[in-house]
Amino acid sequence: MTLNLKRKRGRETLTGQKKTVPIFIDADDDRDSSLGELEDVTGNRGGEDEMDNGEDEPWEGFGGEHSGGENDTPASADQAETHIGQKEKRRNPATGEELRVIKDATDLFRSSSFKLQIDALLPNVRPKSSRIPPLDRFLLALHTFLMSLPAIAPQHPLEGARTLLKTGIAVPYSMPLPTENTNWKVSFEKPTDVTLVGSWANKVSVKGKDGGKFGVDLAVEMPESLFQEKDYLNGRFFHKRAFYLASIAAAIQVKKSGLDADVFYESTSNDPRLTTLILRPRQGNSPHDFSKLNAQVRIIPVLPSPSPISLHRLSPSHSNIRTSAPDTDTHPPTPIYNTSFLLSITPKLDLLTTHTLKQNAPAFGDALTLLRVWANQRGYGEGERLCVKGFEGKGGWWAAIIALLVVGEEGEAGKKGKSRRPVGTGLSSYQMFRAALDFLAKHDFENEPLFLKTKTGHQFQPKEYVAHHEAVFVDANSMVNLLGGIPLCSLDMLKHDAKKTLELLDKSGTSWDPFSEVFLKEQRDLPARFDTIIRVDLSSTKPRTLSTHSVLDCGSHANALLAQLAATLRRGLGNRTKAVAILHRTSEVRSISQAHPSNPSIIQIGLILNPEHASRLVDQGPAADDPDSSHAEEFRDFWGEKAELRRFKDGRIIESVVWDVKTSDERAHVPSMIVQYLLGRHFHVPEDAVQTWQTAFDSTLRLPESVAMLHQGSASGSSGFKGAMMAFDQLVKGLKALDNELPLSLVNASPITEYLRYTSVFSPVALPPRLAASIPQCWSYFPAMEIILEFEKSGRWPDDLRAIQKIKLAFLERVASALMNSKEGLKATVVVGDGVVRSDIQDQSRLEIVTAEGWAFSARIWHDREATLLDRIIDNKPRMPITSQKPDEGKSRERQEALEARTLYTRRFIHAPRHHRAIANLCHRFSAYAGTVRLVKRWLASHWLLHVHVSEEVVEIICAAIFVGDGRIPEAGNVAEEKATVPGTKERGFALVVEFLKDWTWEERLFVPLYSNSENGSSGATATTGTKLGVWRVSTEEDKAGYVWTSGGPDIMAAHRVRAIAKATWNYLARMETGSLDGLFIHPTEDYDLIIQLKPAVLPRYFQNMAVDPVVWSQKGGYANIQPQSGELPPRPGFDPAQLLFNDLKRVYKDTLQFFFDPIGGDRIGAVWEPSVKQQRPFRVLGGFSGVPNSKVSTRTLHVAATKQGSHDQDHHKGKDKKGLVTLNENGVLSEIERLASGLAQSIKIQV
Amino acid sequence: MSALPASIAGFTIIPVTYSSSSTHIIYARPHSGSKKTPKQTLPNGRTLFLVNVPPDTTERELILLFKHAGTVEKVVFDHDGVELPEAEESESESEGEEDAVVEDESQEQPHKKRKVSKDDTGPPKVSPLPRTPLRTLRKTGTCAHVIFLDSSSLERALTTPQKPRPWPRSPDEPSGLAHYMALYDSLRPPLDAVREHADTSMELYEYELARSKQNSSHRKGEAVVDEDGFTLVTRGGAYGKTLGGGVGVANKTFDGSSLNKHGRKKKEGKEKDAFYAFQKAEKQRKAIMDLKKNWEADKAKVEKLKESRRFKPY
Repeated sequence: MTLNLKRKRGRETLTGQKKTVPIFIDADDDRDSSLGELEDVTGNRGGEDEMDNGEDEPWEGFGGEHSGGENDTPASADQAETHIGQKEKRRNPATGEELRVIKDATDLFRSSSFKLQIDALLPNVRPKSSRIPPLDRFLLALHTFLMSLPAIAPQHPLEGARTLLKTGIAVPYSMPLPTENTNWKVSFEKPTDVTLVGSWANKVSVKGKDGGKFGVDLAVEMPESLFQEKDYLNGRFFHKRAFYLASIAAAIQVKKSGLDADVFYESTSNDPRLTTLILRPRQGNSPHDFSKLNAQVRIIPVLPSPSPISLHRLSPSHSNIRTSAPDTDTHPPTPIYNTSFLLSITPKLDLLTTHTLKQNAPAFGDALTLLRVWANQRGYGEGERLCVKGFEGKGGWWAAIIALLVVGEEGEAGKKGKSRRPVGTGLSSYQMFRAALDFLAKHDFENEPLFLKTKTGHQFQPKEYVAHHEAVFVDANSMVNLLGGIPLCSLDMLKHDAKKTLELLDKSGTSWDPFSEVFLKEQRDLPARFDTIIRVDLSSTKPRTLSTHSVLDCGSHANALLAQLAATLRRGLGNRTKAVAILHRTSEVRSISQAHPSNPSIIQIGLILNPEHASRLVDQGPAADDPDSSHAEEFRDFWGEKAELRRFKDGRIIESVVWDVKTSDERAHVPSMIVQYLLGRHFHVPEDAVQTWQTAFDSTLRLPESVAMLHQGSASGSSGFKGAMMAFDQLVKGLKALDNELPLSLVNASPITEYLRYTSVFSPVALPPRLAASIPQCWSYFPAMEIILEFEKSGRWPDDLRAIQKIKLAFLERVASALMNSKEGLKATVVVGDGVVRSDIQDQSRLEIVTAEGWAFSARIWHDREATLLDRIIDNKPRMPITSQKPDEGKSRERQEALEARTLYTRRFIHAPRHHRAIANLCHRFSAYAGTVRLVKRWLASHWLLHVHVSEEVVEIICAAIFVGDGRIPEAGNVAEEKATVPGTKERGFALVVEFLKDWTWEERLFVPLYSNSENGSSGATATTGTKLGVWRVSTEEDKAGYVWTSGGPDIMAAHRVRAIAKATWNYLARMETGSLDGLFIHPTEDYDLIIQLKPAVLPRYFQNMAVDPVVWSQKGGYANIQPQSGELPPRPGFDPAQLLFNDLKRVYKDTLQFFFDPIGGDRIGAVWEPSVKQQRPFRVLGGFSGVPNSKVSTRTLHVAATKQGSHDQDHHKGKDKKGLVTLNENGVLSEIERLASGLAQSIKIQV
Repeated sequence: MSALPASIAGFTIIPVTYSSSSTHIIYARPHSGSKKTPKQTLPNGRTLFLVNVPPDTTERELILLFKHAGTVEKVVFDHDGVELPEAEESESESEGEEDAVVEDESQEQPHKKRKVSKDDTGPPKVSPLPRTPLRTLRKTGTCAHVIFLDSSSLERALTTPQKPRPWPRSPDEPSGLAHYMALYDSLRPPLDAVREHADTSMELYEYELARSKQNSSHRKGEAVVDEDGFTLVTRGGAYGKTLGGGVGVANKTFDGSSLNKHGRKKKEGKEKDAFYAFQKAEKQRKAIMDLKKNWEADKAKVEKLKESRRFKPY
């Protein structure tokens, strides 16, 4: 059963009479140029009958009886829908027909809305049938043209090439190239048959990524007479094929051909043997200009049906390349060569198989489309951006996956019953798609070969495939291994992606719809996809071992190199990675004057780490006493000088490789170190040709060298987070020991600071007194770590808020003196407030403790009675039926104060400790979590948004969302269940957070199940906050409303800023080419109206600045007046005047200016005028605004002038129009700011 | 800054210069007390009401500014707990404040008598925490009342000056970096001062608690009788005795909610859902209707997404 274009002609006339334009297609079409629109309109005129485009599809290869079937259901549903929509008003229950549709949608799909979305998606990736007629006309013309081509007499291949070169056409001969003394001839005769094959013929075409064109594959059958029996040898067949192709190209290119098409070569996977001819229409007015269809015709020369070359020569174990190597006796097999060869036989057979399948399983087409859209979004296929190696031109493979599910495997003779059971033909498209993903996620490609069910049984021995291919998936013709040329590591990647998507689909929550994540979202962005990205320049590689034979087998040097590289890396990384992906640009069309494809010299290697093993320091090889010494030899050969014999604790002596790591940061770099080493060893890639970004990211979280050295040198005992936690434990121990000296004993001390949960940008530092005296002021900052003290309950607390605060003071004083008595060198002070808040019912006092080692803590007392007392004020219910009713409003101010105090209480004493515990847990569970939080904090801080606008806690929760996802955290020990979506490095975590922030619409609140496996907390006492500044809503189980950490911001302006910055950062990340992060953490300041430049030398946190300049502290005597002063002063834990100034400015000019500032060592404060503030406004007593009366008389100030006159005798006008207008006193405000910042600010820059 | 009007909306304009290039405007008006009750804190006639004083103003600086007018008795800033007259939006607030103050006074009266009559110790004095002179930064555009000793000073203060006076700077209170250092240190008073302060504050609290108990019209064990002669039943303290003032009572909302919950539960237990055939049928019917409704809703949602061209994957 062959299909040819002749049959089509008859249909063509039919179409002419009955023009049909399906209406549903036009709605979603944005590719239309205006011209196209016009034509559509004219086309539409003829379309009388709606829908049902199935019957007259002229382009359908196999009679149209089944075409459009997939559109039938939604269409009829549509009609039913509108019909019922009217009935709905009468409240009639659904009709049976409609019920069936609804039931199907809910039962056979993930949800009914999922089905509707699939229905909406499908037409967008399929060709629009209104645009097909020109293509048909073109194909017809092409057919006649090809059939009328004159023959070319046999000639020597080089001779033929020379002749063609004169017309500007190169013949794409593949290696081994023909030489002058070859004794066979190339020639051309008109094809015996021209057939439409592939996805187009089966109507399962899917639009390509990046505006890729629909491929219309045309199998052109070369006549048998051109070939000889021995043509399988040494690429002779490929040479003949190349000449045939070049001859067609030459003929089409001639103007007279009248085809109006541009001709290109394209080599799938850059394999010259698989070169095809691409025809693209020229824009013009010819009747067969099908450029609007966005398609291209591909001419594939194929062998006639009973092959003139015997098939058994092409089995995987046969060697068909006889190199002139000396050892002529043993010819290594050429599996890839043979696969390429077989590809010239199968196209028509595939067409038939797929067609049968499509008829048997109605949802096949849709399922295949979904699968291919899914794959395209993830870079498995062609595209302009980086794609995963090996999946180019593998259209058949996707169909074969579904075929495998439907028809099952071809059993092997020996093993029965083990083969996969087919799933059945009646599944819905979604079910098939999901089954396909399930197969991809679970199948072990490395060890389990697959053979599709065939009609005739195995063509070649299954063992041969297994022996000569890395992964085996043989097609339904039992000829081609579809996985030939796909490296195993790419299959790992595919497996990983399938797993990830399954996780999304399995997510139970109904509130979240995975559809767009699965099908619509571009997933090829490297930073969010891979834990580690390594960019390699291959232009100067010299592979250590790469035989000519494997080059010849793979078809080109580059392909052989990549194949070896993939195998090397996969082996070298072992179980450190879940997947290694080699990404490169896919092949592109080239002009027909270029014989060979150009190969990409730059590839990206993406690693998906397995957190459990990734940072392992020792790789173990075979034992020394291994009887087979070849293993050890092989190991040594692989690792080179890194391999060494080591004795382990348990007495084994093993060949091993050890990776030297100095800091904990570097541990995370081990995988990229391995890649770099292996590339250097096996491919001689110079070090500077391999780039990663990790070091650059690390340095943003590290103190400058000189500062770090000083701290490290001074610290007695351990430093960093560990040191801080030890200091905390000791402090708690010390406090517990005071039980006898305190009236109440300590029950609990809970830390609530980021410094004690691994998530502060910089690890905490201690500042021992002796060190404090000697360091410059711009290093002197050390944090006071907040903790909450909970004492045993007692009835003796006073029942009055003010008195409670005083009692706390007394209590803290007792603790302070007792601590100082019991511990040598410890200093404790009671801090009575923060100097800003004046409310005397709010918790204010705290205890500041500086241990002898220089760790600073700040302790507060939690007394739970406060909450009740505050609530009483807020509720304003009479406690007693008081006879003398106080006026309600008399309480309003007190109530306001109480509200504030209550919010603070809830946040500080209820939520903060819980939050701390949850976050600390996450840090232990996910190795990359803490790093992610720190990077995100650093990033937000460097863009002047952290702390004041975006609280640290909310950053932690948002980062947690990336890790915990739907909240089903696997049990700590159970790593097998580790989810695929969890990032393995902080860099990827950072990218994911940025990506999230870029797209997040805050109106939809974010829910993060932070506490899911901790105890079921009481449904958190939610305080009624007065005004909610923040627009973000980030809720957890403990905080249903989602305002605890966002009530203070970001406001709408800051939130937009976050989004804009996330967008910019994302774009930057996506096109990051070099190893520097400049620009990622540097804040652009052009948009600010004012920049207050502070003096770096007096800022205690300056050493943490992003762009720190060591000159500031090395300049001795530069600030002579300050340094001696700092020497005298006792260390001030947590003293940060810049932050204090910023807070004051923000408070004082709340309605006038918006301030922005980097809390982590920032030396500039930026400000923007509130948009409305520069307008004139009427004078008001409580304007909250520094204004100047208008002095100038403008055109419309008649009314103002009147006011001025009237103001002398204002009593007369009092009731009427007494308001003058005022404008902002800009100069005055600036002077005030200068005054407030005296000693701190260097200059104030006004930017317009 | 050439032609400033002399006054605006009844306020005299007092320009002060910060530097050669910048001028700040303070708006001044004689204070006119509330219509209802004459106030002792802000005497009419010699109180100047200022609007838009600089945010870092100190009392001393205002005294210096008005030195030419006369001696200033005291300065009251609006955020320090005095009512804000003439402020439209804070009308209610100010009234309440007044009442509160009045009440305080009225409460204090009988107590004073008693003190004179039998007690000579008086309320214990709270020893304050040591204070260093510090600036308080207020929101920009804030108000202040300046109370002169003499009413004639008010006139003088309100005359529009010939040329703007420079803003006096008081050197006692530092600003900028020095301010923050001083603030930091002043918030950490010596421990004995803290103890002293806390102890004396607690004494005062005890004293006031005792006094208010004495003072309360409700005594322990006495019933509360309202104007109409009804005895109010309240929840008792220990041994069923109600206490005068202070102790919270389980209120109605609490009782009500618990009752409601209880009641509903019982009801649910009684009735059966699908007892009659028609109930079953209706239930099924409803399920189908719901199914359809959801379907329609989904459809509408997807349709909307479709309009926003969401379904183009690439």
